[in-house]
Amino acid sequence: PADTRGAAQARACSAPAPVTDVARLCVCDLLVAQCDVNCCCDPDCSPEEFSLFTACSVPVVTGDSHLCRQKAAVYSLDVEANPPERIFQLIDQVNPSIFCIHATNYKQALHLRSPEMPTPENFDDLLNEFGSVAFNAEPESWNVDTDASDPPDANETQRYEYGVPVQTEDAFLRLPSPVVSSWCSDANPAGFLVNQATKCIRSVSVEKCESIQALNMLFYINSSILAFVFQVNISVQSIVVQSLDGMRTLLKGADVLRLPMILDELCLNVVLGVSYHITYTDTGEIIEAAAAFVLGAITKEALSIQQSFQISFTQVDTKPVPLSGNPGYVVGLPVRAGFSPQGYPFPAEFLFAALALSTNKHSQLSILQSTPTQDCLAAQGARAPVLFGYNMISGCKLRITAAMRCQPLAQTLLDVLKGQSFPEYVASFGNSQAQDVLDWVPITHLHISEQRISNALQSSCQIPVSFGIEVKWTKYGSLVNPQARIVNVTATLTTTTLKQLPSGRERTIPITSSVVFTDISSPAEPGYKAWPTINIRLPFDFFYPFV
Amino acid sequence: RVLNSSSQLSSLPLQILFYVNGIYYIFYFLATLAMIVYKSQVFSYPDDFLAPDLAVLFLMAMLEVPRLYLGCKGNLREEEAALGLSLGLTVGSVVLSVYLLAWQTYVLWADVVLTAVLLGAYGLESGLKVMAIAAFVS
Repeated sequence: PADTRGAAQARACSAPAPVTDVARLCVCDLLVAQCDVNCCCDPDCSPEEFSLFTACSVPVVTGDSHLCRQKAAVYSLDVEANPPERIFQLIDQVNPSIFCIHATNYKQALHLRSPEMPTPENFDDLLNEFGSVAFNAEPESWNVDTDASDPPDANETQRYEYGVPVQTEDAFLRLPSPVVSSWCSDANPAGFLVNQATKCIRSVSVEKCESIQALNMLFYINSSILAFVFQVNISVQSIVVQSLDGMRTLLKGADVLRLPMILDELCLNVVLGVSYHITYTDTGEIIEAAAAFVLGAITKEALSIQQSFQISFTQVDTKPVPLSGNPGYVVGLPVRAGFSPQGYPFPAEFLFAALALSTNKHSQLSILQSTPTQDCLAAQGARAPVLFGYNMISGCKLRITAAMRCQPLAQTLLDVLKGQSFPEYVASFGNSQAQDVLDWVPITHLHISEQRISNALQSSCQIPVSFGIEVKWTKYGSLVNPQARIVNVTATLTTTTLKQLPSGRERTIPITSSVVFTDISSPAEPGYKAWPTINIRLPFDFFYPFV
Repeated sequence: RVLNSSSQLSSLPLQILFYVNGIYYIFYFLATLAMIVYKSQVFSYPDDFLAPDLAVLFLMAMLEVPRLYLGCKGNLREEEAALGLSLGLTVGSVVLSVYLLAWQTYVLWADVVLTAVLLGAYGLESGLKVMAIAAFVS
């Protein structure tokens, strides 16, 4: 076995020699040890098989056609003979052109070069030459281009764009996060404008807690962030100390650096959580960075602790309002909604009061959240936020007894379906500001009442049984990067009459609430550049002297 | 007085050949340069192989001018030194044209024809120069 392996290796190390004899070359010989149909140069074919051919798929085999004089193998079928037979001729082909190649001293000119077989000696050179995405057939002339496209110098930073890792003096701003397993990996860079929150587990031991870098406050703030021109130091915003039983106290005077130290059998000032807050301008420059720490203590028995990390970006001079997209809505983020304050005038006026936004989840667009008990009256106001792009349906069961009175029931159900404060306006873009009133879409309310024809005469009160919100959105912007934009929001309330029940009986009716997102994008229109126009104008005195 | 060949040692055929050679060489230079450009477009002609070919062609052009000038001057003034120098330069030109004939990266049929004619002219010139030098010296 060792001999055959060595022999096989030796065979594999050299490529087979190229065939240049035209008499032995056959392009149509594809099947090994079998005769290919209509292939007159196939050596596996017998004369009987040749007699069955109709034509020769490869009539001539030659070398480079530019050569002045070369041998050519000509294959043809003599159909006159009985049976038809193949004729093979080796002729001298002459190129009559005066620019035919008489001789050449460049070996690769006329045939492809055999590739170098990789050996341990030349592997590195071959990897340098051919290891990239593309390589030139003549690599010597390509060196000029690769020099010009050097990666940008680490010292000069461009303006940050969304998702670009935030660079610091050494590598990137680290946000340790779990990769594959739950263990912390320090190689996760924080992306610009990407708000992240991660939790991961780090293995610790009290004896080595002073030497483990990741438990030390300095590890997270010692390298400064490279902004456009300056370097921004990461300041300590606040330090919260968490005791062993979980109680947290905010330290006054957060300027003091607290490093891990071993005391008795505990290790104090171990970093349990870091929250970065980065302030940026609207041109993409980072101007401030602060970190808030949660420090804790670990006992001797603790083999691992959970660390949580968070980073958030806020634009300078704005209050942080969580965006749901920039500018188009991102699927999965909550639909932003709000109210107009009292005295909101007509849309034509330009003196607007800003829409009152709040991050309070009760005034966001939300739908009823189904509870395990499925009892509408015991719903206790659990609501789920409406997330863009996610059609949701929820509901509860209403048990109607004879004693229930319609009017209060209707009001209760309306509260259950719509929530405490149902908003009036919905933002059309994910980043609509409260000042831009035109960016907000009013919610249209529809009322459908299911009245049975037999009860048309009775004008009994109606109770709402179904509340559906239909959000119509469209793709807006360029074909390459379409942004989602909400165009229309319609809230449809369906009510039905409450039949009076005989006493003692009770009935259960389902109450549903749903949100549907409909894409009403019109098909994209390609835009073309204007056709060039021919602008012909004769000179002023072209027809002189006739004019 | 009738000028006869015995009192005039300058060789008339050599002078004619110089004249013709000059014109032919201009044509040869332009044709070879054009063909090198054609070859570099049609065939695979890496820079490593293009540079020597162009260098030889331009070197030959630079040799040709003093060669013809010295030859003409020497022949007309009946100076054997200038003619001998021209002969030496001819040897260099012959070597370079042999390179263009046989060791160029791509030798086209047109190359062969033009260079063969040039070599023939050089050979004839060298023969006439030797005869002229012999006539001047003696």
